[in-house]
Amino acid sequence: MTRWSAVIVQELLCTVRERLPQLLLAVFVGMIAASAFIGSSARSSVTGVYQEALRQGLTTVANPFDSLSPLYYARNTVIYIVLIGALLAIVIGVRSTLRDRQARTADLILSRDVNLSFYLGSKLAGLALFVLLVLAVSAMINIGCISIVAGHVLSVGDSARIAALYALAGLFMLPFVALGMITGIRSSSATSALLTPIVIWSVVIFILPLLGTAAHPVSLLNPVSAPPASGNGFFAATSSLVDPLSLGEQFKHVAALMLADPQATGTMAGSIMALAVFAVAVCTAVAMTGRKRMRRMLHD
Amino acid sequence: MTATAISTTALTKRYGATQALNELSLSVPAGEIFGLLGHNGAGKTTIVTILTTLMEPSSGTAAISGHDIATAANQVRRTIGYLPENVQFYDNLTLVENLLFFAHLSGVHAPTGRIREVLGFLDFTGHDNQRMGTFSKGMRQRAGIAQAILHQPSVLFLDEPTSGLDPQGVAKLREIIISLNTQLGMTIFMNTHLLAEVTKTCTSIGILSAGTLIYQASMAATLESFPGQESLEDIYLHIEAGQRS
Repeated sequence: MTRWSAVIVQELLCTVRERLPQLLLAVFVGMIAASAFIGSSARSSVTGVYQEALRQGLTTVANPFDSLSPLYYARNTVIYIVLIGALLAIVIGVRSTLRDRQARTADLILSRDVNLSFYLGSKLAGLALFVLLVLAVSAMINIGCISIVAGHVLSVGDSARIAALYALAGLFMLPFVALGMITGIRSSSATSALLTPIVIWSVVIFILPLLGTAAHPVSLLNPVSAPPASGNGFFAATSSLVDPLSLGEQFKHVAALMLADPQATGTMAGSIMALAVFAVAVCTAVAMTGRKRMRRMLHD
Repeated sequence: MTATAISTTALTKRYGATQALNELSLSVPAGEIFGLLGHNGAGKTTIVTILTTLMEPSSGTAAISGHDIATAANQVRRTIGYLPENVQFYDNLTLVENLLFFAHLSGVHAPTGRIREVLGFLDFTGHDNQRMGTFSKGMRQRAGIAQAILHQPSVLFLDEPTSGLDPQGVAKLREIIISLNTQLGMTIFMNTHLLAEVTKTCTSIGILSAGTLIYQASMAATLESFPGQESLEDIYLHIEAGQRS
């Protein structure tokens, strides 16, 4: 084992054994498992209403739900990734660097012949591996649950689309891991280390999309990205500025295209680029951390 | 002629307006157990932090086994072992998992065998798979010594190693420190408040007062030079009082 793989293993062990990540992980995987059944339940309710309308002669059109792809049942997972997945990513990132400061192991590491950028990069790689493992398991659970709800095994094409969604989720979650690591290093207290990235997350997920689209806040919990602001004026001006930074909306846009959502239009390239640029920027910031930062005392 | 393990020349550290170290010049020959004494805030931890390359001095130079801490920091890091005060380790990892991590970071070959060897040397067996969150202070200190010597450093820095230990723990740690020096030939630099322990453990001492080294001599010479004083504590207080007046 090399020193860098040792850091990755250590990071995985510490993360898996901590309570808060365990709790968030259970909620995340639990919601992923439940999402297909929630989708199925919603579909049953709407179909019931349709059957009643049909019985009363209020409609003659075919049930629109009959033509929906099984990928429809995966749509709710997009929101769980944006909400719970990102929080999980933040928590494991914060705990990763905060752990070294709280346990004062930073001094043991920095007094050795260890390149700090490689050390932090290896920690990030360990956490990225953890996230990918979680997402791989979640993808399999999601495919399995959708197969149960749909009553047949998903096709290779549909399974590949769900796998692609979880790969995209990795790209979405990674910068939040890195953001958590940065605040874990730079914050003066454990509390602010955790709260700061959560504030940033709420800005890029909820506040920026509102500034760019004038969307109703509740509509941001819809798995389809909010439509751009119509007409001229303030929202038209802010839209072009904040859209690329509205990471939740960018993720939802690509996810909707991957899941063949009929409401989704446009291409994936721009949104994937926005997510990738954010990931590269934050990961680079982690690697550029100075030695003094790692040794700062916490005030709580 | 004995080689010099630790040397500093006009080492100075300022934190804003506060002068933590004031042109400190010190030389510790290889093979010594050097005890640095001083009251709280005298600058003891500051000097250890600088010598272990964790902090840069404001001015002055220092070298460990001939390697300059500024220009050859990585060589210094390969030469030293360090146990800070109140280190906690990774509570969710077992003793062996913690030590494996630090062994790999230090580039130790065949780390599993080396860990067994070190734990055997420290008489610290039977706790390999116990999570460190369950360890007592004394057990943590022994684990701390273990991580510090895994890569067979020639100079070992211990910052208040006996802080918070019960009498049995202090005695055990004393035994370990002396063994590291006599059996493995390590030069040991320790900060401590327990003057009785310094008398029993150290071969030479230095006294730091307000960032200035006011006294340095071998333990034997120190005890001989102050015949009227009954203990090292009396000698320490006598020297400190002389400095103040």
